Amino acid sequence: MGLLTQQIFNGLAVGSIYALFAIGFALILARMKILNVAHGTFATWGALSAFWLVVQGGMNFWVAAVSGVAFAGLLGVLSELLAFGPLRKRNAGTFAPIIASIGIWIVLLNVAEGFIGPTTRSFPIEAVPSTPLRIGGIVMLPAHILSITALILVVTAVHLLLSRSRFGAAVRAVSVDSRSAAIVGVNPRRTLLAVAFIAAGVAGLAGVLSALADNNVSFGLGEALLLKGFAAVVVGGYGDIRGAAAVGVVIGVLEVLSSQYISSDFRDAITFGILLLVLVTRPQGLFSERQLVRA
Amino acid sequence: MSTTAWIITLQFAGVNALFALGVYASLWTGVLSLAPIFFGAVGAFTFGYLAATLGLPPFLGLVLGIVIGALLGVVTAGIVIRLSSHYLAMATIAMVLIGRVLILNLPEYTGGAAGTLIPGDLGTWPWLIGVLVIAGFVMSRLAGSRFGFAADAVREDPAVAQTLGVSPRHIQLVGFILSGAFSGAAGVMQASFLQYIGPDTFYTHLGFVTLAAVVLGGAFHWAGPIVGAVVFTVLPELLRDVMGDYDRVVTGVLLVLIIIYMPRGLVDLRRFRLLRRRSRGSEPSGVSASRESANQEVLS
Repeated sequence: MGLLTQQIFNGLAVGSIYALFAIGFALILARMKILNVAHGTFATWGALSAFWLVVQGGMNFWVAAVSGVAFAGLLGVLSELLAFGPLRKRNAGTFAPIIASIGIWIVLLNVAEGFIGPTTRSFPIEAVPSTPLRIGGIVMLPAHILSITALILVVTAVHLLLSRSRFGAAVRAVSVDSRSAAIVGVNPRRTLLAVAFIAAGVAGLAGVLSALADNNVSFGLGEALLLKGFAAVVVGGYGDIRGAAAVGVVIGVLEVLSSQYISSDFRDAITFGILLLVLVTRPQGLFSERQLVRA
Repeated sequence: MSTTAWIITLQFAGVNALFALGVYASLWTGVLSLAPIFFGAVGAFTFGYLAATLGLPPFLGLVLGIVIGALLGVVTAGIVIRLSSHYLAMATIAMVLIGRVLILNLPEYTGGAAGTLIPGDLGTWPWLIGVLVIAGFVMSRLAGSRFGFAADAVREDPAVAQTLGVSPRHIQLVGFILSGAFSGAAGVMQASFLQYIGPDTFYTHLGFVTLAAVVLGGAFHWAGPIVGAVVFTVLPELLRDVMGDYDRVVTGVLLVLIIIYMPRGLVDLRRFRLLRRRSRGSEPSGVSASRESANQEVLS
């Protein structure tokens, strides 16, 4: 029993990171209509920049983490300014942004590999919070507690921002029809830049937390997140970030439990099996409403 | 770069061109699909298993790859074709992800995480060039056929194509079969050149790069993917001396620039025609303007 609760807790923590990543991925997919392949590299760069600031700059971990998140957000803004924005202005269709994101992915992944090298690195143990907490027989690592807390805060904040604020109304208006939104006084460019910053920043946060969780920083860090986040977004549907986040958490729990009780090779089989099944039977995701479009 | 390095690079460029043709065959019918990587993986691992247990002659291996790929194309089309654009692309990405899981979980056939050694009988220039020439011939004949025009129509607008009596799903099914045949062959060729395949040989990385190569070369003519794959494979090698570890940064930047400023890619017959007419100075300005706006057209 103790093992099970412990593993469920670990699963919740792992899943929280997937969920955080999925939120940003879903935001870009739903509001900017981009299947953003480069989203994983935003997470990688969030972790890499935080790592660099701690190791080279001798910076406090918390300051470095916030800077890492901001840097990832900045990369999102740059992608929007240099690639996605110009494509939108040219009316380039649905597939062009995917290709552009592949270009961004190649650049960011390659620079990341050159920056940190092919090996994995770790934070110096004294620089990061690492004293475990014991509550009711469960060992809670600070990274795990942080991930779960961060997820709860981010989901609540982003959901309220999108559903209750003027900014959220502007985002929804722009994603439906940016020209009509402009007519009623919304600046579509600025709105999408803000969305890009939030989405990439949250990805950066997921990257930092993932690096902290297994104290592992490598240039491929974001690629694993990308696949899991992708699965969460597709299964949960991307209209409402809460769906994607919930499925992200479930994927984490399923993964940890299946590698504990079945086998670790089997871990991904469950996740991706569910992914294909949902895509084929209910492509709009479990929690989305059907959208009507012209044929 | 030494001659041997050049030869190896060009061989991989050739194999990538085959994969790129596989992606193009679907894209031609308006379907963005990474399934070719999955087709290639299944072809390659089946070939590897049979070659190791039965000792397959090269020609049969190639035929096997093509047949398996085409059959998988039919099955895949049956499952995913009714999905709309983004979901269809995602479903094919999911196939690539599941392919790796299958490879890892069937160690008695695939070698699992350790991978499989492949005999390299097929990994020679005559086979590669032969396959490429046949693939190019098939595509060039199809381009001017009824199927070719129907595919163009379905890609531009499936609803309009349907009113013209073209069934988009039939056309896309044929696209998937072609895609499967090319990529099955590509998988077998790739395995033969590498002489070793593992769970990461055919994964998202190869898929994204292949897709990028197709668009870079031009997604509106069958020669585009071939040119794109060659440029995409050779360019980083050429730049390695100058850029060191950052050799691929240039291809990434180039890809973004091309999709923004030349959305129809390097091989763009419409632009070639336009340029030729312009240099003759015979085209009325109105027509050229409308053609230019057509050049900005959607990549969908």
